[in-house]
Amino acid sequence: MGKRANWVAMAAALGLVGLTGCAVGGGSEGGDGNSSGGDVTLSLLTFETPNLTASYWDDIIARTSAKVPGVKIKKLVAPSAEQRNEYARQLDSTGALPDIMVAIDPAGLAEGGKLAQFSKKELADWVSPTANSFNGKIYQLPTNSQTWQIYYRKAAFEKAGITTPPKKWDDLLAAVGKLKAAGIKPFVIGGGAPDGLGPRWTFSQLVADEVYAKDPKWLDKLVEGKTDFSDPLFVNAATKMKALAGKENVDNLSATYAQAQEAFLAGKGAMYPMGSWFPAAPDKAQQKQIGVFPMPTQDGSLVVPTYTGGGLSVGAKSPHVAKAKKWAIEFSKLNADGGARYDGLFVALKGYKPPSGLPPLYNTTLDLYNRAQSSGTVTPSFGNEGGVPALPSGFIPKVDAALNDLLNGRADVGKFVATLNKQFKELSK
Amino acid sequence: MTHPLRSRPGDVAAGGVPRSGRPEPTAAPSGRTGGPRRRRTWTWPSAGAFAVFVLPTLTVFTAMVLAPILWTLYIGMTDERATRPNTSFVGLDNYGFLLGDEEFRHSLWNTVVITVIVVLLTNLLGLAIALLLRRQGRLYSLLRGVYFTPVILSAVVVSVIGRAILADDGLLNSTLVSLGVKSPPGWLTDPSYAIYSVSGIMVWQLLGFAVVVYLAGLAGIPAELDEAASLDGAGPWQQFRAITWPMLAPALTINTVMLMISAFKVYDQIAVLTNGGPGTDGTATVAFEVIRTAFSEQRPGVASAMAGIMLVVVSIASVTTLKLLQRREVNL
Repeated sequence: MGKRANWVAMAAALGLVGLTGCAVGGGSEGGDGNSSGGDVTLSLLTFETPNLTASYWDDIIARTSAKVPGVKIKKLVAPSAEQRNEYARQLDSTGALPDIMVAIDPAGLAEGGKLAQFSKKELADWVSPTANSFNGKIYQLPTNSQTWQIYYRKAAFEKAGITTPPKKWDDLLAAVGKLKAAGIKPFVIGGGAPDGLGPRWTFSQLVADEVYAKDPKWLDKLVEGKTDFSDPLFVNAATKMKALAGKENVDNLSATYAQAQEAFLAGKGAMYPMGSWFPAAPDKAQQKQIGVFPMPTQDGSLVVPTYTGGGLSVGAKSPHVAKAKKWAIEFSKLNADGGARYDGLFVALKGYKPPSGLPPLYNTTLDLYNRAQSSGTVTPSFGNEGGVPALPSGFIPKVDAALNDLLNGRADVGKFVATLNKQFKELSK
Repeated sequence: MTHPLRSRPGDVAAGGVPRSGRPEPTAAPSGRTGGPRRRRTWTWPSAGAFAVFVLPTLTVFTAMVLAPILWTLYIGMTDERATRPNTSFVGLDNYGFLLGDEEFRHSLWNTVVITVIVVLLTNLLGLAIALLLRRQGRLYSLLRGVYFTPVILSAVVVSVIGRAILADDGLLNSTLVSLGVKSPPGWLTDPSYAIYSVSGIMVWQLLGFAVVVYLAGLAGIPAELDEAASLDGAGPWQQFRAITWPMLAPALTINTVMLMISAFKVYDQIAVLTNGGPGTDGTATVAFEVIRTAFSEQRPGVASAMAGIMLVVVSIASVTTLKLLQRREVNL
């Protein structure tokens, strides 16, 4: 029986080893075998875009880690920029929410207690320390601001006989007509899976003028059930979207984000409605060929949708929250110049002065933002409102899908609005 | 003590010789009509043997399969949401909601369409290619490797290649345009084509598996049968119908069940090729909706109910198909 008992014990031990070997988690104390004694390994969730390449991340990670001794970073990359929020939540559901996450929408994770709160002291160096507030609590470093506008190819405008960028809505429609008459596709916006967020970046500019500029409390009303998407303001924005970016006006609605950017830079369309990070993409020659103007409004006034936040978050269950926060804050400060140069970020650090030699388009776009701030016509950006009140989790992908139908002619404005109402009601339950 | 693996009375090998090698003991009088009956005795295995041979497997199975299934079914009866502090038991509400939900029913329909296409087309093409590749020679060995390559690639890699071919400005449409087609179809962007495009990519990836299984089945058919049939004047079609096809019944069973399960749980290809689109009436399958509902919408309760429905559907379909095909094997 002694031998038998040994076998039983061995089998049980092997079973336990097998089971524990399946456990996953975030950071570990020197757990990966590569860390020197006393080091902690922290996982960092990033995502790659045409601007934010693998080498960009590797470089800034190395520089930050050099400043925060005792921390070793294990980089995780989300499947795509659009899927990063979903990916973070998948990791969370397996108990492996990364220790640090870049530009993850905190909604849901914050209320669920999954993210660590930043203190006033930790936020003291930033211009908008209360951006993305969840009832006064901040779960994401407000490191930068981003705006949305239209980039255009000067040569295409010249060829179509457009002398100055349009300011009013009717001017824009006229410009679209002229471009088509000259045999030029008016827009490149993308919209193809798995990175199909291009149409929303156009739509958010229309919502800014038609909805948020006219009713700054519109989202509050929507969340409180006092209005819905059949509100005439929102319907106006949807109607404009269909008129502007229907498939007949767009180069290729199935292009992914990266393909669309490549197509615009290759001269396949005249206008590219995009975020303020785009100026980092064109090379020196292309910088001179491309201009920027805000989305034309009904009366020609300046309205710029803006989002401030987009920084790093830290998992509340990380075994090393303090070190993770320290690393995240250091990263955000060290990344300021790189973020401005390589991702076109408007750095929101107090007293920050952008380095010299930034791309000309960066400065022109920043000028638009500064003018909008001076005139008080900065609005939230639809889908990137941040904090609470907020659109329910999972709603934005539904908007993207509904926009895809709208632009491809599979839905009219009525069906688009009805779809959003149904999805919003369901996801808000 | 009787060891469960040792031979027992009545366990007779071919030719009437007991496997134990010992003479078969005389059966005890049963007192019933109908002659002597062989007594079958069965005892519980000893605790030690159970612990060594069964317990580890049972523990792992319970921890990795049974418990998660039961937990999922339980969560499916709650209104759990990541953003809600309290979770309540809601019984079958989620199931009722899903059965009436147009979006979920659409994903169920998509799953069925993909499954039918994948099972039928992969079996058909797999058999045809296996028949062509059953010969010996370097070229045939090479071709067998070529057909099997997509099987060992990750679904994501295969889908990225598929996307490069099927995108609006991809390889296929570029070729069509160069041939004079003015408006080539949106293989992945037109809802009327997208589901078939996704199915096509899956067929491409799984084809190698079906070919290998059929080749193994073909290798097990004695050459004498074909020779005898040939001598009797049977043509190739008659040989195929009377010998090859019936003898491939086990291969058909394996392929059908494995392909069906692979198709039912398709997620990766959808995520890469269409991300559930194009648009709202796109290519989302049940597995895709489960992931999207659980993680993007943060509604684990509803997602678990979806997984529960999927479990029932897959189980019924798999068991029914297996039974039907196995019955066919016996009848042949």
